Amino acid sequence: MKLNYDGQEQINADYDAVWAFINNPEKVAKCLPDVEKLEITGDKSFTAHVKVGVGPVRGRFKFDVGLEPDAENNKMNVNLRGGGLGTAIDLTAGANIAQQQEQTQLDWQGEAVVRGPAATVGARVLDRKARELITHVFAEVKRNIDEEQA
Amino acid sequence: MSDQIKDLNPAKECRAMGKSIKRREDARFVQGRGTYVDDIELPKMLHMAIVHSPYAHALIKGIDTAEALKVPGVKAIITAKDLAGFNLDWIPTLAGDKQMVLATDRVMYQYQEVAAVFAETRAQAVDAAQLVEVDYEPLEVVADPFKAREDKVILRTDREKKTNHIFNWNVGDREATDKALAEAEVRVKQKAYYPRVHASPLEPCAIVADMNTATGRLTLYLTSQAPHAHRTVVSLVTGIPESNIRIVSPDIGGGFGNKVPVYPGYVCAAAGTIVLGVPVKWVATRTESMTTDSFARDFHMEAEIGATKEGKVTALKVTTVADHGAFDAAADPSKYPAGLFSICTGSYDFPTAFTEVDAYYTNKTPGGVAYRCSFRVTEASYMIERAMDTAARELNMDPAEFRFKNFIQKEQFPYNSPLGWTYDSGDYETTFKVALEKVGYEELRKEQAEKRAKGEIMGIGISTFTEIVGAGPSKDFDILGIKMFDGAEIRIHPTGSVIVRAGTKSQGQGHETTWAQIVAEELGLDVDKILVEEGDTDTAPYGLGTYASRSTPTAGGALALGARRIREKAKRIAAHLLEVSADDIEWEDYKFQIKGVPSKSVTTQDCAFAAYTNPAPGDEPGLETTYYYDPPNLTFPHGAYICVVDIDKSTGEVKVRRFVAIDDCGTIINPMIVEGQVHGGLAEGFAMAFMQEIVYDEEGNHLNTNYTDYLIPTAYEVPKFETGNTVTPSPHHPIGAKGVGESPTVGSPAAYVNAVIDALSPYGVSEIDMPISREKVFSKLRAAGVEAF
Repeated sequence: MKLNYDGQEQINADYDAVWAFINNPEKVAKCLPDVEKLEITGDKSFTAHVKVGVGPVRGRFKFDVGLEPDAENNKMNVNLRGGGLGTAIDLTAGANIAQQQEQTQLDWQGEAVVRGPAATVGARVLDRKARELITHVFAEVKRNIDEEQA
Repeated sequence: MSDQIKDLNPAKECRAMGKSIKRREDARFVQGRGTYVDDIELPKMLHMAIVHSPYAHALIKGIDTAEALKVPGVKAIITAKDLAGFNLDWIPTLAGDKQMVLATDRVMYQYQEVAAVFAETRAQAVDAAQLVEVDYEPLEVVADPFKAREDKVILRTDREKKTNHIFNWNVGDREATDKALAEAEVRVKQKAYYPRVHASPLEPCAIVADMNTATGRLTLYLTSQAPHAHRTVVSLVTGIPESNIRIVSPDIGGGFGNKVPVYPGYVCAAAGTIVLGVPVKWVATRTESMTTDSFARDFHMEAEIGATKEGKVTALKVTTVADHGAFDAAADPSKYPAGLFSICTGSYDFPTAFTEVDAYYTNKTPGGVAYRCSFRVTEASYMIERAMDTAARELNMDPAEFRFKNFIQKEQFPYNSPLGWTYDSGDYETTFKVALEKVGYEELRKEQAEKRAKGEIMGIGISTFTEIVGAGPSKDFDILGIKMFDGAEIRIHPTGSVIVRAGTKSQGQGHETTWAQIVAEELGLDVDKILVEEGDTDTAPYGLGTYASRSTPTAGGALALGARRIREKAKRIAAHLLEVSADDIEWEDYKFQIKGVPSKSVTTQDCAFAAYTNPAPGDEPGLETTYYYDPPNLTFPHGAYICVVDIDKSTGEVKVRRFVAIDDCGTIINPMIVEGQVHGGLAEGFAMAFMQEIVYDEEGNHLNTNYTDYLIPTAYEVPKFETGNTVTPSPHHPIGAKGVGESPTVGSPAAYVNAVIDALSPYGVSEIDMPISREKVFSKLRAAGVEAF
């Protein structure tokens, strides 16, 4: 099943600080919830082992995440592929970054394709849970940058 | 002794047929003393778990088992590469295609089997399976047969023919039918989709595979509806001599056609025991059952009826697009790739007809099992019964009157249908009249008119179906070349008790009772002294198993004729005992007597004792036989079902107020078992009509993989059924029986749906597909401008 989400964060930092943060796989990875193990596999990629609980699907998922900065268009693209417990998740997200006076605005949108038992759960709980997770990630990006700036 | 017969006098005690004798097998089932595959525990037995694909279509770039192998208790993990070493990576399907056992370089449907893990406990195997890492590269998914038809993405790259089209099967006179339709005064088209459904036996598929490395003997305890056919297939695929393979099909918790195919789980467990030298058990989980068992139906049909203005049908054309999933694994007799769908002219005397089925591959679970259906008969019956109602509506005729006008008449039997079948017998008018009277049809129509005037919604649905069962005659019917006869063995012990064995395999049908009744009737023996055994290929005679309502038409015939053969020998013994010539002996009142002298008689039991203690001179001692019965024709049970519904216009809820089912399955062996079969089938028909459909999304995700999402009706949902019978014996069957297991599943869905459409027709509704949910009815009502309150 395909799930689409979007949102916006106002970050109390300038463009460069935000750009630097989201280009750093270690910092981005820390914004994921319930990370149990993290492997930085390149300067723009990491593997995260995450604890997941969606309805009856509970256990550990492994995600390979790649950051694809597009500086020319002030955009960061993120590809995530992985899963576990027979479930596969492919997520592509994009964030447009724009300086607005003293703040930087992050406009993000994401599309997730979920396959396997988690997709079956989908109609009832997955959509809400996935929205919660993706919103959490970008909220954490904001919180961490805000903290760095404080 | 059964309660029903112990109070009768000894002479009547023998009269076994037509009696509602309680099912002898039920004592052990209700006391929890049955033995199912999962109850079998063998020393050193390992457990198997399967790794399934989350993708519906993807390349496999790699499989990493390193972490999984570290789980304590794990003994081995196999993938397609390992199976290839034994030539077991692909196996032939019943439909003449081939299918992967474990995914080779790609996966073709979601939940396809990718690897099998063997461990000391089931929990260890499941834990390890979750640690097997498979690297997939997703491919475009084709989850719709109409999209598959475009051939933009070719799914089966292993095949020479680069198309998703599997076959076109057609029968009848296309030209004459088109001409008759073109000339028809009235032409009525009807589309109908029969959704993909699951047979849903409560016991999932299971196996304990045990290779004895010392003797080279492979024993498979298997949830099998056809143990002998499975033994032959295992031998052909593995090269192990059939004499070294024993299949034991113990008690089975429901089959419904679901346990006819050979599934990858079975093959992996067998490969596991062969390689590891210890027994291996695999019991499918509910999700595995829902997602990887062969599905049923998934037919997109369109019918066109031609008729005169007076309401006499002149032609029928039915075209179908069939979704077969990733491999053509439909379970049909070899000559009939779309099963017996050409029974679609039903109970009606169409002068000409034509039907064709085009089947396509999609990224969905393979299958096409005959779920409580004699090979696509359910689809055919549903189509014609829906179309007949629509035609009656177009003609502004009552659907009952329209049916009476077009029934094949009693005197037309044996009736040659325009699509090539010879119907054995039937009396459609009588059966329908009994149903109409029982339901009070005329009063109901009056009530409906009054309700409509008040804005209330009520409908009456009719289905006067004809089935085609008992596959079948060897001239036309085989599976993988094996002719579809069936065998029975009867051994009478010196003391007159009997063991009966048959090539069929009960999964709830009650053979342990009905087979005993047939033999008891033929030989004048006590039912309770007849033990019936099925399911062990080492002891039972060869047979093609139990599905498609074939057991009574085939094995039932073998039992009756086998018993008669024994009776002939017993007659010679009787002559010896009574010191007369065999020509002077007659079988009268369940005894052998000197003609015209009832006082000079002996029983079969007397003859049995003599067969071992005082055999007739020149005759072989003993009293037993094995009989293989090759039926001369199929049998054609029929029925008339009438459903009455009330619809809540606020919520769209459909309430089945009444359901009258009059079945004619020929001679009845045990009325209670027939009634039980009819109740079960009507409940399954209700489930399909109102609750069930396997749903996939565009990505090929299977969206209802368990009984929370795929609904099974309980006593709360199932309506009350009013059943009855007429009896038109089959003229060619040894006891006149036709088979009944599937009639209610075949006949009832159209009655339910026709009732809903009849209810909604004043609002311009002429189409609604199963399953009829409240939402669908609610939307139709709102679209028609019907106010909720």
